[in-house]
Amino acid sequence: MSTAIEIKDISPEKTLETCARQIIVSYFREMMSHKTGAIDGTDIKFVHDMRVASRRLRAAMDNFADCFQKDTFKKHYKQIQMITRTMGAVRDLDVLIARFQRELQSLSGAEQGDIQGLIEQLQHERKEARKPMLNLFTELDARDFGIQFLTFFEVNE
Amino acid sequence: MAKPQKITGLNPKQSFRENACIILPQKVEEVYTWEQFIRDPARREELHNMRISIKRLRYTMEFFAINYEKHFTEFIKTIIDLQDILGDIHDSDVVLEVLADYKGSFQSTELPGVDTLIARTRETRNADYQAFLERWEQLSEVNFKQKLLSIFAS
Repeated sequence: MSTAIEIKDISPEKTLETCARQIIVSYFREMMSHKTGAIDGTDIKFVHDMRVASRRLRAAMDNFADCFQKDTFKKHYKQIQMITRTMGAVRDLDVLIARFQRELQSLSGAEQGDIQGLIEQLQHERKEARKPMLNLFTELDARDFGIQFLTFFEVNE
Repeated sequence: MAKPQKITGLNPKQSFRENACIILPQKVEEVYTWEQFIRDPARREELHNMRISIKRLRYTMEFFAINYEKHFTEFIKTIIDLQDILGDIHDSDVVLEVLADYKGSFQSTELPGVDTLIARTRETRNADYQAFLERWEQLSEVNFKQKLLSIFAS
């Protein structure tokens, strides 16, 4: 399980709004830092780390919603929800494939064939599950989602 | 998955510290709404929802950790332990569902490998469920919830 990142420039005395902005922006940047690896798809840790960061980001947004203008907040929240959701489908399959591959070694030769067939089916499903995730990333880039998100949430001092 | 409960009573212009005392108890209450279901091992959905609520509490405690003394992290560790055990239970539930679906798609064909894994996963699930219940009872005996709420208000 990924550990929490250190959030800079927050303190008990600062206002909730200022700290909420710092936390949300930090987790957004953390989430996006794993995107290239998630697109590549070779190492499953990137999808995992990006998804965990998106969940932390959502937890922050759930907690601090009252600090922000409702309509724009809602629009950004829905996009983050979409990111978590499409990545979740891929991650769930990564977990299953890894688990069955581990189990494979403890089975007899005849039993292994059954599970090998299941792994192949899951690998095909994973390939399909990656498509909506990749399409979403392309769409978000085309709409400059990252810039819009940061412009809305970054601290203006 | 159950939606997070709406946080009420925030004041964005008040300090981070003061708002921590408002948000954190609400996240604890969300976790405890699922307690009534946990003694039935078949309540998969509710156990899963409790895990999600625990995860939300954990992340919220991590955001607010800066407001508290060092021993606050011990409470976070306990929350992470609970999340991990419930995560293992959920993983087994998903694996059992996938194996049953896979077996079902072959109808009458014998699949000894699938049967072996179903039996093994059931055993693991039962052991994890018992471990979770034991841990939960231990925490209840030492008034973990009250301790959490007191530390948030400290």
